[in-house]
Amino acid sequence: MMAVGLSPAAKYEGYFQVFRDIIRSIHSSTSVQEVLEMMVTKSTDVLNARGALLRIHNKKNNKFEVRAACGLGERYLAKGSVTTEKLIPEPDYLHKVLIITDIWNAPRVEYPQQAWDEGIRMMLDVPLAIEDRLIGLIRIYLEEQREFSDDELDFLLTVAEQCACIIERVQLHENQQDHFTHLATRMDKMSSLGRMAAGIAHEINNPLAGILLYSSNMSKKVPQGGQLEEGLQIIIKETQRCKTIIQGLLDFARDKEPQRAPANINAIVEKALSILENEFHLRHIRVERQLDKDMIPAPLDENQIEQVLINLLLNAALAVGDRGTVTVRSRKHPDRNNISVEVVDNGCGIDKDNIKKIFEPFFSTKTNGTGLGLAVSYGIIKNHQGKIRVTSAPGKGTRFLIELPLKAGKPIHATGTGCL
Amino acid sequence: MKPLSILVIDDEAVICRACKLILAEQGFTVDSHMSGIAGLNAISQNRYDIVLLDLKLPDMDGLDVMKLVKKEKPDTRVIVMTGYSTIAIAVAAMKFGAADYLSKPFTDDELITVVEKARKK
Repeated sequence: MMAVGLSPAAKYEGYFQVFRDIIRSIHSSTSVQEVLEMMVTKSTDVLNARGALLRIHNKKNNKFEVRAACGLGERYLAKGSVTTEKLIPEPDYLHKVLIITDIWNAPRVEYPQQAWDEGIRMMLDVPLAIEDRLIGLIRIYLEEQREFSDDELDFLLTVAEQCACIIERVQLHENQQDHFTHLATRMDKMSSLGRMAAGIAHEINNPLAGILLYSSNMSKKVPQGGQLEEGLQIIIKETQRCKTIIQGLLDFARDKEPQRAPANINAIVEKALSILENEFHLRHIRVERQLDKDMIPAPLDENQIEQVLINLLLNAALAVGDRGTVTVRSRKHPDRNNISVEVVDNGCGIDKDNIKKIFEPFFSTKTNGTGLGLAVSYGIIKNHQGKIRVTSAPGKGTRFLIELPLKAGKPIHATGTGCL
Repeated sequence: MKPLSILVIDDEAVICRACKLILAEQGFTVDSHMSGIAGLNAISQNRYDIVLLDLKLPDMDGLDVMKLVKKEKPDTRVIVMTGYSTIAIAVAAMKFGAADYLSKPFTDDELITVVEKARKK
């Protein structure tokens, strides 16, 4: 049975128009939202339905969230998103329209009472699928029950398929845009930080010089071993700490071009480990070396890479606490034209929220941290045209992976300062 | 032996005073000036064994001051001071003939050590 007053020809004409409108939106519209809005209004119109609701699968929380709606009351819409379990249909429904006539007893209908009160007597679930992936679902609400011919359902599915493709494409585009914006902001933040750093260093080091000169001079004139001397020693120590912080900030901000010479990463690992030997021994931390026996030399700035490794090893030591294990692994990948070095610990791990921020300057979870260790490390590896990545499971441990190229290219500056 | 004569050029009064105090205690004669021009005038009129020179001055680039000093009085040993916590600029200064450098902030002992070292050069 067809909608009242419409001949089959007129009806298909309507479907065709919807189809055409949606295809057009591929070319004209750039936002997912526009496409979604059009889909719900057009499908409501063409089916002479009460309204429609479009849910899209959100990969982040694995829920199907309402992204567009039309024709439904606030009360019904306020019910919110629906979880995956409720919506994922049996595989053969991925490409099939599901018709719900008995809304009181259909397990897929979460709020039958509200639906009934809204005057809804029938629902159509049209899957938005790409191959075997369900990316969303359009539910169309009708005020009276009627039959749908196979042709009509086929048409709905074809439109849905096209929609799914558009959504996927636009979403991809939007994600990329987000990614670029994020990168751009980050670069901007870094370069202005660099400009500021040189200024701050000079402005602060001068007054610090006054404090340090007078306090160190005075500490020799007061009774030795007394409170005055103790206080002055603290002033001296804390002033020197300020100097170290500023030094770290400058190291991070400055475009320090790596002085590269062929070096064996294993030797640098050993050097870094020897510096931290005592620290590890005192904490009963076991160090496991899994170094590639036939490591090939790579163009590295030994001092800088050593600094990075010391940073990572110290972080690992802090993460494992007493009696943990830190593994250092090196591998060569001539096929990928790089070498890799990993620092793995079985410590406390990093929270999901923090992991995104750990390479940002001034981010620290340590009480006395400057938040520059990993930021400096990141800059050094970038300047080597390398990659540094982190994976972590809270409570289980953390793994830092560094990849360094076997051939030195033109240096890319992680920070754009040019100061000094 | 004639006491070592030192000139401090820094636009920070506190640093001038602190250096004067510490170096005078070591038995050196110390003058100070707060700009490049004033410093250069003093150098042309007096004989200084050592000049402690800040690289960032209000009127002139410290490196230019140093070049002029080395040209006029090649025997004068110049120790550069920098607040930029970077050795790169100090290394550049050494290339132009600086005897040594001090990275701000520094302690009295560091100051004395560098001056004693420069004196022996």
